[in-house]
Amino acid sequence: MAGADVIIVCEAGKGQTEAANTRLIAIGEELTRHCSGRLLCLLAGHDIGTKAAELSRHVDEVCVADSPLLANYNPEAHLKIAQTLVEELQPRVVLFGHTFIGMDLAPRLASRLGVGVASNCFDVRIENDALSFMRPMYRGRINARVVMDFRPIIVTLQLGGAEPPAAGRAGTVRRIDVGPVENAKIKPLRTIEPAPTGIDIAKADIVVAGGRGIGEKQNFTLVAELAEALGGVPACSRPLVDMGWFGTSHQVGLSGNTVKPKLYIACGISGAVEHLHGMKESKTIVAINKDPDAPIFKVAHYGVVGDLNEIVPQLTREVRAVRGGKDPRRET
Amino acid sequence: MKIVTFAKHVPSSVVTPRIAHSGDRIDEDGLSHEVNEADLYAIEEALYQRSLHKGSVTAITIGPGRAKEALHIAYAKGVDQAIQVVDEALRGVNPVLNVMAAAKVVKKLEYDMIFAGIQAEDDLQGQFGIGLAEALGIPAVTAVTEIRASPGEKVATVMRELGGGFKEEIEVDLPCLLTIQFGIRRLRYTPVMAIVRSRSRKIEQVTVESLAIPTEGLQGNAPLRVMKLSYPEDGGRCELIRGSAEEAARKLVHKLVEAGVV
Ligand SMILES: Cc1cc2nc3c(=O)[nH]c(=O)nc-3n(C[C@H](O)[C@H](O)[C@H](O)COP(=O)(O)OP(=O)(O)OC[C@H]3O[C@@H](n4cnc5c(N)ncnc54)[C@H](O)[C@@H]3O)c2cc1C
Ligand SMILES: Nc1ncnc2c1ncn2[C@@H]1O[C@H](COP(=O)(O)O)[C@@H](O)[C@H]1O
Repeated sequence: MAGADVIIVCEAGKGQTEAANTRLIAIGEELTRHCSGRLLCLLAGHDIGTKAAELSRHVDEVCVADSPLLANYNPEAHLKIAQTLVEELQPRVVLFGHTFIGMDLAPRLASRLGVGVASNCFDVRIENDALSFMRPMYRGRINARVVMDFRPIIVTLQLGGAEPPAAGRAGTVRRIDVGPVENAKIKPLRTIEPAPTGIDIAKADIVVAGGRGIGEKQNFTLVAELAEALGGVPACSRPLVDMGWFGTSHQVGLSGNTVKPKLYIACGISGAVEHLHGMKESKTIVAINKDPDAPIFKVAHYGVVGDLNEIVPQLTREVRAVRGGKDPRRET
Repeated sequence: MKIVTFAKHVPSSVVTPRIAHSGDRIDEDGLSHEVNEADLYAIEEALYQRSLHKGSVTAITIGPGRAKEALHIAYAKGVDQAIQVVDEALRGVNPVLNVMAAAKVVKKLEYDMIFAGIQAEDDLQGQFGIGLAEALGIPAVTAVTEIRASPGEKVATVMRELGGGFKEEIEVDLPCLLTIQFGIRRLRYTPVMAIVRSRSRKIEQVTVESLAIPTEGLQGNAPLRVMKLSYPEDGGRCELIRGSAEEAARKLVHKLVEAGVV
């Protein structure tokens, strides 16, 4: 039925591709089940036949735009393809992952079609055939339930949360034409991979992260010592990278690394949406923050409200005592 | 090179705004505001580009009376000109109005590059820049972390983030709009005295009403409507550990040992 279909705009590039696609399939499934429409997928990139075949097992149709023009993320070309497809298929909903590509492409498409976009959504509600979405505002301190009165409904979805759904369909794969972009004003030159640093915080079992609440660079020692006492690795939020204290390899979050350790300790980190993105699936989360309202406490299992400069050294001492390290206090 | 840079006045980062009785917006009474963080980076980058290529930087805000403060700060940082679109009715938070108003004002200016923040901390939408570029018919690149402009050749080579540490190098024709990502340049400290002094500098004000913006799509049947605001629930799962630092540390480690994670 036209007007009930859902298009998921999957990714074939580097970065958060898998997490995005998994989430898109899960929510796309849920929506099409309720709206009794088809689940369609747009996949644009270069040399993406294998990925298209993989995705076809989860959707009714994969529309593949495969061209060297799309080897790098090409905003104008990607937009043209998405717009052509949406105008042809007239879906009810178009879903993007809240990745850097989704964040770029969804508003472009919405602008062209003259509709709105709800970005960063983490929950969908379907009531009497009406769709509403939950998204954060005010740095994640408040959530908003939003609706869109125009078609198509365009949304970017936060990644994570969903289990990879079982492959339950045998969709067709349709190639779509990729013509040149006339008078291109944006020319992608190259994609640059992160330089190997030998540091992989994603593999660690225990991660102790410091944020802007650390204050001075020298105070990061407190975080590093706690990490060492626990046999874990130190990490940080983005402002510490922006201030030049660390490289991106230490950064947790949307633009850094995604970690899922068994223990994540956040010291002086407010819990902005983009930070949570990279750690909310950790098994046990501890937050130390002087602001009792900090959003980090919404995802934490244990919280200590107070000054990290006092709490973190005590924690280190206690951990050393428990794990058999030296405890200078008890020795005297 | 002429640069226009946008600065939004948003609720301060350190407090949780109160939800108004109507349930669909926040209560601004007693709330303090600050310049959106990404916009500080945009201003800093604009001034840096001016230091390389000469020219001028114009800062623009859309918002109620109090939003002037964002422009005082922009002046204190060193911009050459400041314009406020005074929007008392919608207080600078209606995305459709913001884009239409910005387009009207910018069309009267000369510019090679327009900067907006990657996202505003109040609505967390990240759409204004793209919307404005579409309205002006100029190319836009988002999440930019490095700019090498050649105004003479009407082109710039920029670096943008792709997530997970990946980046992309892009060539873009001028004039263009770039949304500026955190960290593009170190933020310099702005002395309070500089802000106080800049309060006497001229801010051009235009009211939204004087821009004759069509009102459909602004209320009611809007592209994106907030039904209800709520405070996030923690599902009751965060156990707060109380006591002195020493007690809290002991209790916490005990719990972590019990849970088998330490
Ligand atoms: C597209 C995009 C991508 C992004 N990617 C990332 C990313 O990958 N990772 C990331 O982290 N951010 C990312 N950000 C930035 C993010 O929005 C936040 O700005 C950032 O996470 C804030 O870091 P923070 O919590 O360390 O700092 P703040 O938000 O400034 O929080 C500091 C916290 O420390 C507390 N504090 C201060 N002093 C003390 C003390 N003495 N003791 C205890 N607590 C104290 C404060 O109460 C506050 O909660 C991204 C943003 C955008 C727009
Ligand atoms: N009312 C406003 N006044 C000035 N700049 C704005 C306004 N709204 C949005 N912007 C700019 O657009 C960016 C992204 O905003 P948004 O799309 O609301 O997330 C901000 O960082 C600002 O640079």
